[in-house]
Amino acid sequence: MQFRSLSFWFLPAVLALWLFSGCDEDIEPFSGVGKRPVYIPLAQLSDIKSLPPRPIVLSGSIFLRDSFFFMLEQRQGIHVFNVADPGNPVAVAFWQIPAIGDFSMSGNRLFVDSWRDLVTIDISDIHNIRSIDRQTGLFDPLLYPPLFNGIFECVDESKGAVAGWEDAFLTEARCRTFN
Amino acid sequence: MKTNHLSTALLSLGLFLLAAACSKESADISNDPGQAGSITRFAVHNGFMYALNPNQVRTFSLENPDKPQLVHTLTTDYGLETIIIYDNTIFLGSRTALYILDIANPAAPSILSQTQRGEFLFGGCDPVVVKDNFAYSTIKIIENVCGRFASQSALMVYDVSNRNAPANVGVHFMSLPNGLGYKDNYLFVCDEGTDRLEVFDISDPMNTRTTSFSVAVADPVDLIVKGDKMIVSSKTEFRFFDISNIADIRPLGRISK
Repeated sequence: MQFRSLSFWFLPAVLALWLFSGCDEDIEPFSGVGKRPVYIPLAQLSDIKSLPPRPIVLSGSIFLRDSFFFMLEQRQGIHVFNVADPGNPVAVAFWQIPAIGDFSMSGNRLFVDSWRDLVTIDISDIHNIRSIDRQTGLFDPLLYPPLFNGIFECVDESKGAVAGWEDAFLTEARCRTFN
Repeated sequence: MKTNHLSTALLSLGLFLLAAACSKESADISNDPGQAGSITRFAVHNGFMYALNPNQVRTFSLENPDKPQLVHTLTTDYGLETIIIYDNTIFLGSRTALYILDIANPAAPSILSQTQRGEFLFGGCDPVVVKDNFAYSTIKIIENVCGRFASQSALMVYDVSNRNAPANVGVHFMSLPNGLGYKDNYLFVCDEGTDRLEVFDISDPMNTRTTSFSVAVADPVDLIVKGDKMIVSSKTEFRFFDISNIADIRPLGRISK
């Protein structure tokens, strides 16, 4: 049975996972290609607005509502599509929401976590969304690149909020993901 | 002069159509509560919003939707990844377990149960869907930890008829499963490893079985089923499928990179 051979590695694996979960700072320093956080000043978190549609780079949660389909763009915002005709979906807008983690909505209100904050956004006009409330310190943002398996530069929160991850040649990187 | 009038007329018509289109969009959006995919950290239900931190369930009252109010925080083990609400019950997928929470008091969820996975199943990205008395969850085992851990990911089936004691009643090994959803007696599972949308027959949940109805989708991540249509997302695109006939799932429109 495969299980038996797996259980042999269970303890070391769990130990490793526990230590390495998400971000580990005890690995051997690594130099090579990986991911590097893109920081923005905290003041820039409030730069929430509707923009013209743009290409999907790295998707996240999805949401279907009436004839609209919403797709998270990791750490950047939300793509809005009109899908009234499933044979011909049309990109309608891109909602820029810096350092977004996830979202949900109720009525004309969109709720997102943006870095450590819960932000409420009025979406009654898709083409002109407005942030109406921000409460800080409610969320623990993920400090590692999503949908990525490998080495990355550890997050330094003194540099600001993480608004994305870019490919980079890293020297002496000390973090890695297992996903 | 004539062309000028013509262009003014066209511009007015264009603006009118644009305005009409915009107002239609605004009107549409307020009707339906909407439906999330299976991989999400937020859920809105009966005037409350539940949002996950890695080891917390935050409950917000939406009594004033312009300013959600934090009313409760439930602490769990680390590793929470997904939340869904089914039959007035919260199901959480985490790296280590499936949690079932009672929301009889929606302002203060409480833990009814927490599964203990077999020791060989310990992974990330654990979306859950529930149908009747059964929960289906995919788990993606962390690969090659320390470079020596050859592991398998799986679709797990739980009997959740007793919310206080869910029982694992099935395991189907998969390549790299992600989001999932169902229509009637068929369960759809995104498998990033095989680049397919796998289709399981769940008419007898205790005996869930694979079917030959799977379809090719590059790097599928998550899906939403609505009536006879299904949207499947990948890292850089999404696509509609017509699922009115499960034996003949047909691609419809798509948005690609």
